[in-house]
Amino acid sequence: MSTKFIKSKFWVEDIKEEMMAEVPISVVEPWQKDKELKYVGKPESRKDAYDKVSGTAEYTFDKSFSQIAVAKTLRSPYPNAVIKKIDVSEAIKNKNVLGILTPDNCKDNDWYSGTSKLLDKKVRYNGDEIACIVAETEQDAEEALRLIKIEYEILPHVTDLEKAKLDTAAKINDHELKPREYNRGNLEEGLKEADIIVEDKFSTSVAVHNPLEPHCSVVKWDGEKLLVFDSTQGIWAVRDTVASQLGIPASNVRVIKKYMGGGFGGKLECGKYTVMAALLSKKIGRPVKIVLDRKEMNQAVGNRPSSVQELKIGAKKDGSITAISHNAYGTAGAFPGSAGCSWPARSLYKCPNMKLVDTTYYINAGKDRPFRAPGHVQGTFAFESIIDEAAEKLGMDPIEFRVKNFTAVDPDWNGPYTSKLLREAYIAGADKIRWKENRKKAGFGGGIVKTGYGMASQIWWGGGAPPSYAILKLNWDGSAELVSGTQDIGTGTYTILAQIVAEVLEIPTRKINVVLGDTGVCPFGAMSGGSMTAPSVGPAARDAAEKMLSKLKSAAAAILELSEDKLEYSEGVFSSKDDRSKTADFSKLFGHFREGVLVTQGAREANPEGYAINTFGAQFAKVDVNTLTGKVCVKHVVAAHDIGRVLNRKTLNNQFHGGIMMGLGFALLEERVIDNYTGKLLTTNLLDYKLPTIIETPEIDVIIVSEEDNKVNNIGAKGIGEPAMIPTAGAIANAVYNAIGVRIKDLPITPDKVLNALASKNN
Amino acid sequence: MKNFKYIQPKSLSEVKKYFSDNHSVLYAGGTDVLGLVKKEVYNYENMIDLKSVPDLDKVEEVKGKGLKIGALVKISEIAESEIIKNKYTALSDAAQKVASPQIRNMATLGGNICQRPRCWYYRDDYACLRKDGDYCYAEEGENKYHAVIGGSPCFIVHPSDTAVALMALDAVFNIFDGNAEREVPISEFFVQPDEDVYLENILKPYEVLTSVFIPEQKNKVSRFIKFAERDVWDFAMASVAVKVEKNGNKITGGKIILGGVAPIPWYDEKINKGISGLTLDEKSIDEFSKLALQDAEPLSKNGYKITLARNLIKMILSEI
Repeated sequence: MSTKFIKSKFWVEDIKEEMMAEVPISVVEPWQKDKELKYVGKPESRKDAYDKVSGTAEYTFDKSFSQIAVAKTLRSPYPNAVIKKIDVSEAIKNKNVLGILTPDNCKDNDWYSGTSKLLDKKVRYNGDEIACIVAETEQDAEEALRLIKIEYEILPHVTDLEKAKLDTAAKINDHELKPREYNRGNLEEGLKEADIIVEDKFSTSVAVHNPLEPHCSVVKWDGEKLLVFDSTQGIWAVRDTVASQLGIPASNVRVIKKYMGGGFGGKLECGKYTVMAALLSKKIGRPVKIVLDRKEMNQAVGNRPSSVQELKIGAKKDGSITAISHNAYGTAGAFPGSAGCSWPARSLYKCPNMKLVDTTYYINAGKDRPFRAPGHVQGTFAFESIIDEAAEKLGMDPIEFRVKNFTAVDPDWNGPYTSKLLREAYIAGADKIRWKENRKKAGFGGGIVKTGYGMASQIWWGGGAPPSYAILKLNWDGSAELVSGTQDIGTGTYTILAQIVAEVLEIPTRKINVVLGDTGVCPFGAMSGGSMTAPSVGPAARDAAEKMLSKLKSAAAAILELSEDKLEYSEGVFSSKDDRSKTADFSKLFGHFREGVLVTQGAREANPEGYAINTFGAQFAKVDVNTLTGKVCVKHVVAAHDIGRVLNRKTLNNQFHGGIMMGLGFALLEERVIDNYTGKLLTTNLLDYKLPTIIETPEIDVIIVSEEDNKVNNIGAKGIGEPAMIPTAGAIANAVYNAIGVRIKDLPITPDKVLNALASKNN
Repeated sequence: MKNFKYIQPKSLSEVKKYFSDNHSVLYAGGTDVLGLVKKEVYNYENMIDLKSVPDLDKVEEVKGKGLKIGALVKISEIAESEIIKNKYTALSDAAQKVASPQIRNMATLGGNICQRPRCWYYRDDYACLRKDGDYCYAEEGENKYHAVIGGSPCFIVHPSDTAVALMALDAVFNIFDGNAEREVPISEFFVQPDEDVYLENILKPYEVLTSVFIPEQKNKVSRFIKFAERDVWDFAMASVAVKVEKNGNKITGGKIILGGVAPIPWYDEKINKGISGLTLDEKSIDEFSKLALQDAEPLSKNGYKITLARNLIKMILSEI
């Protein structure tokens, strides 16, 4: 047995998961620090760059079949209602209408942890699904939806978080949401010990993922077997949900995802639309396509919960923090979810006494979904803001204060980290932005445009974990195929996996084809979330490649009639250490095999016992605030992070740029707005829901302070998707305060808030 | 979106006949009207594409008199025009700030002036006043982007940037009513909600704004400044167009028009009375700017617009 089963425990987003995993018993040695790598770490262009830029890449959205029909969904215009009667007779009169689903067809299809149905007669938010129609064209389906007659009993709604907190608020969901409380030491004692105490209240808006490619599925039945093309971050989750919703074996469902136009966490779970399309397709015996429009994208497929965060910190004169209190509440919509955001307060610094409470309230709005560092983005903004307030009160530099409270062990259980180069990140980032020279006292200086500098730290998981597997097939011509059931969410997974295999087998990446995102042919691989993909799947790919090298070596030894230790390997050729004329290349080896392809399977090894595995970093922002318009313009962001080994410098930079821009949008622009009177969503398009554009992009420097983290896995890498975004908003908010000397405590920091704050400061 | 007929008339006189049933709409660049039909704010049976009518897309300098710009001239062409940049700077400034490069390549001057409001209640499925409902949802709702003056009973803001500049430049609109063309000064073109809550201007559905005439701006300097949350692809939270005559650092005459604050490009009486004689120094400009929007009645979330508009006046005057 070369593998064994373990109970793998790891963090996915902010939830601790346990999963059985098959891991290799003999573990591949990580590349040592001084080893010169030929492929890994190099700024190689994406394998799919040409396909994407030229438009030949076929996304799920582009997928079509002959005879394909189109499905559209009827959504509730009301935020809270019970459907008394549905009359579809007019809607199905048109011969182009092929099929319809209503709540009557979905009595066995539980959804939202059993608190609702796939289509439910109780609708809990503006956008909740009521019916789905499949027709010859999108327009036929839309017209038919308009002809469905519904009698509603309209119930009182609540969309305002503060009103949702009240005992008198209308009941939205029977499932009780319990507050999450964490205690360490004794908060009151800690506050007593403190020389200074700062206290403040922060809030953040609901943000929506809004990936460029809409949520969409194309489904097709072949007898009893269902083929699903889906724009998803988790093919296995989609397969299993579809199979159980349809009551068919998982093996009858094949989910494929090739290219991805963004997900950010919103596509981690199976959508209702996929199941509805599969049911309708079965009904009409034709392939079905379903694509959500931008309004549906903003209503119904997830969001980052809002937060209100009351924070209190006590510290001694020397700067050591003695107590932290974090009382946070927010809303995750109308169904069971979590608005928790206290992890940064719990884990960033040394602090013996704390009490953290996270409470989630229901409102009549779409349910939350994980969104690029759940809880951490909003939590870090508030926590790193109050950390700056404490530093200012103590008369300490913000970095000095953070270093003073640095913890070398996980403060939760005092275990060591596999690596923690946070102080190195502070030094590198501060140096790059010239912190000491540039940063002045808050509100310093005159003029209309005021410049400020700010920074914030970041902690996240992201070390990856088993289970993840990869199959490697090596062909007679020295080309190879790596197959793994993860997905490339658009960050370059195809490319880095090819680089890892290339590194081991010493063959060029162009000869390595990477096949991902197909439950029909791939072994299980990590979902594309939690910054898990590269550090989970990468080591499995390396394991498979190392096994292939061993296999080849064994074959070469047999063919050359030499012992393995007498062989050397370089770029596809084995040769005798003693006699250079004795060689065997791939074609020679394969000439002796009956098979034209060799196969190995690799697995992600177990994580090290007794360590905390985290990513760390700090971001520094330079902003200009125009005091006449209230506009915050981010001029420069320096991101300095400890994320283990860089696998590809180019895709790493891309991912940091994307994360920083998303953080900038959250800090300055993005806000879901609901009209509280009608309970309906107002930001239903990309004009009203303001994403940053290229013109808002600042100068960005990405510094990686780590070389590798060889305790974590055999490639020494950790994930960066979420770390890239976590500290951006906090750094910007602290920089805005530094510029104008008044703190905006409610994100996004829009011009109206800046103008109002400046006016109240001057009065 | 519902089906509509796409019609390409060969001449202006042909246009009116498609409006006998009132379910037609004029189509120029399409950047606004296609959005309206797609979101089903209105359902039209006929879409009358004016691009098939010849000669509506010409820019013509009339020696000694001014500039005539066809209604179908693209915003991007106006933004790039050297003549407009040099002589009618406010319009050039405004055209450069419209939406995004892609939209400017499609959008026309006539369409920009006649576009419908961007109020998020009006654009979505709310039965608001402007759509024959009996309630303005913005008045006590989410009104951060709405009017601070001239609003009642409907608190839209006029979305056009070019209209604000053209008002400062005293433009005259040529309007074809199906039989003949007439001239209407821009100051008489726009309609406030208390006059008619369904319309933003005096045009009958079948009437075509054919061209815009801007009188020669001898010895006058003009500028436009727009402020939006995003620097591109966004509508003004507030904007200011100004046209002045100067003697040294003293303004001897001029006009200031505010955008993004009212249902029409806003002519503020007090500030326009005060502009003649203004000395262009920091203190005087500061005092002067406070004259603006003194009669404003902000809603719960848009009070900042008063400060913003006054600050934009300061900014534009300190640069002129």
